[in-house]
Amino acid sequence: MQDVKTNKKVIDEGVEAGLAKLTPEKIASVINQVLEKETGARFKAYVQTCMRCGLCSDACSVFLSNDRAPQYSPAAKVKQTILEMINKKGRVSREFLSDAVRIAHTECNVCKRCSMYCPFGIDIAYMMLTVRRIIHKLEITPLYIQDTVNSHAATGNQMWVKQDEWIDTLQWQEEDAREEFEDLRIPLDKDGSDIMYSVIAPEPKFQAGLIYQMATIMHAANVNWTMPSTPGWDNSNMAMYTGDFETSGRIARIHYEAAANLHVKKIVMGECGHAFRSVYDVGNRWVGWTAPPIELIHAIDFYHFLLTTGRIKVKEKYKKSVTLHDPCNISRGRGLHHKAREIVNILCENFIEMTPNKEHNYCCGAGGGVINCGPPWKGTRMVNNKEKSRQLKRTGAQVLIAPCHNCHSGLEDIVEHYELGMEIKFFGDIIFEVMEKTIFEEGN
Amino acid sequence: MHSFIQFITGPMVWISFGICFIGIVFRLLQIFRLTREKENFMFTFLSVKFSLRSILVWLVPFLPVSTRKSPVFYAVSYIFHILLFLTPLFLLSHVILIEENFNLSWWTVSDWLADIFTVAVICALIFFAIRRRMVPEVKFLTGLSDYVFIILVALPFISGFIAYHQFFAYQWMVIIHVISGELMLILIPFTRFFHMILAPLTRAYTASEFGGVRHSKDW
Amino acid sequence: MNHKHLFIISGLIFLTFFAYMTVSAQNEIIRLDNSAFENPQRPGAVFDHDTHNEMAGLEDDCSVCHHVYDGKTLIEGESSEDSACSDCHELKPTPENSVPLRKAFHNRCKDCHFTSQKGPVLCGECHIK
Repeated sequence: MQDVKTNKKVIDEGVEAGLAKLTPEKIASVINQVLEKETGARFKAYVQTCMRCGLCSDACSVFLSNDRAPQYSPAAKVKQTILEMINKKGRVSREFLSDAVRIAHTECNVCKRCSMYCPFGIDIAYMMLTVRRIIHKLEITPLYIQDTVNSHAATGNQMWVKQDEWIDTLQWQEEDAREEFEDLRIPLDKDGSDIMYSVIAPEPKFQAGLIYQMATIMHAANVNWTMPSTPGWDNSNMAMYTGDFETSGRIARIHYEAAANLHVKKIVMGECGHAFRSVYDVGNRWVGWTAPPIELIHAIDFYHFLLTTGRIKVKEKYKKSVTLHDPCNISRGRGLHHKAREIVNILCENFIEMTPNKEHNYCCGAGGGVINCGPPWKGTRMVNNKEKSRQLKRTGAQVLIAPCHNCHSGLEDIVEHYELGMEIKFFGDIIFEVMEKTIFEEGN
Repeated sequence: MHSFIQFITGPMVWISFGICFIGIVFRLLQIFRLTREKENFMFTFLSVKFSLRSILVWLVPFLPVSTRKSPVFYAVSYIFHILLFLTPLFLLSHVILIEENFNLSWWTVSDWLADIFTVAVICALIFFAIRRRMVPEVKFLTGLSDYVFIILVALPFISGFIAYHQFFAYQWMVIIHVISGELMLILIPFTRFFHMILAPLTRAYTASEFGGVRHSKDW
Repeated sequence: MNHKHLFIISGLIFLTFFAYMTVSAQNEIIRLDNSAFENPQRPGAVFDHDTHNEMAGLEDDCSVCHHVYDGKTLIEGESSEDSACSDCHELKPTPENSVPLRKAFHNRCKDCHFTSQKGPVLCGECHIK
């Protein structure tokens, strides 16, 4: 079957510019350095255990979206990238690397679903991230995501938000949120608070209303909380997805240091999946913390606590039919799908399950830094998300709850492209809509 | 010819099993050492509880979602792997040889049943080969070595089958049977046959990460 | 699966059965009595006593095979032609005789054949179907 897509090569200026600078010697030395020095027995075991059975194929939504074209199966992505690099001892061409960038950065969401379908549990996402590590070291990372990483490295947040802009945005949201409660505060740098709330940089940049909503929820729940005014307020981490592990570890550390400096008991983070993966799973461990050094919970966990302890009361349940997208990084990444369902049932009248769901849900198609590769890759991303669109359509729900920023953006693109006519909401949106706007008093 | 047969059925058996076991131990030590050296953190996260939980689940036919997605392949694969070990291990002729040399014997399957098992193993291998040619996503992944593996496994079974029935070239069939069996043993530690040892380990680590860190299932 | 594969596979199956049927029909040959075994899995070993002894040069010394043991010691010069192997060798090892019948047969033949580099040593060379 001739694939329409492959006939048109996507041009990514960052990749092209990087490739132009590469020499065969540089390519080989970088690849061999990563393969020999940065991988261990685990990597070797994965390479030597795979029996090429192809059972991972059915796990991959990109494979399913491309009408089961064989080159999109997880094992095929390994074969076309890292295996070839191993076999050729790093002596690969620029064209090969150009394809490797496309495969590792835009055709794999590193969602780890395939690990659940491989009888041997081979972590193919790890293999793809190793390819991205090589790509990073060769300086041929796609332009848009590299810009995000540059921002991380320079500012500690992913969107070049300056400190005064950040503080200004919070004050502006505080002022606006006083529509809900007249004495509402967004406490900045409040030492010894119970909770530090952290968000991702797109919130102050584009979706400040989410901070407004959270401030309202915090105030109504009578929570002793704070947000840091200094770097560390952004929990996101695109460096984790480009293989820039040094930057990745550094920004995860900044996040925890901000919390430590404020002497908070716990960190609550907003509805984001990859950020959770960074601070809960990857970044913290890269730094050397086996577990988060300060207790860290995802918004779902926090909302669950607020709703089941009566700190937030539901005035009237949400009427429209809703379905729930389980973000990989908090379902497969933290098992929060059970709590998410409890919240949906507390908040909404009409819940429709999507299938597959929970750990087996398909990735939104944007995750793993794929959407962050930006506009050049949007067309192919839409093709690769066809299976996701089918899954969404089958639910027939009016509203799609996606408790993750990345998912949100990706799902919005899918809903628009495939004309699904669904409204996409965060849990925060729905809580804000259905909650009693009264302040919780301890003992009541 | 007698001394050749005596060699391949005597010292060569020792050599093959020796290489197999020493090779496995060596490879495992190598993995352990390399992990200690480079990824010591893996031991922190390795959890016996979650490893065993996952391995047990994956041993139950059609419990993991993946096995239900490809029921035919899994059914054939389960039966194949069980018979691959069961048949030679409980074959009367093999146990007799052990008994004659070590005064050790155990339960055996009757020859007619072993015959059926052998045919089943050969059929499963034919199925695998056909699947490699017919299923596009598998074909894409398949290289020459994958067929070589199938042939390597098939050889002792086919030659054993022909020898048992004494269809033709009896002596040569036994010789091929013995040598190909020994070759397989020798190759276990150094080829992808090693998945018999590695697969539980890779599964165990993935299960530990999924269960212990990520609080979710991996099946 | 395309027709070519189907054809090859069915051809193979047919040939297998054909070969099986042909081999099943054969002439009367002299075999060792295996009635002492419960549910024997193979036909008794092909063994023509006189021809064997003539070729092996054993006409004068019966005690190589028809030996007599007292406990664990071989009694030199005595032989046991008039008793069956199964009179002493049980199916399972016993305190009196640690060599079970099947092992006695197998090792008796094979040990000599290997030592002398003559005679059958593989299963199917004696247990001819």
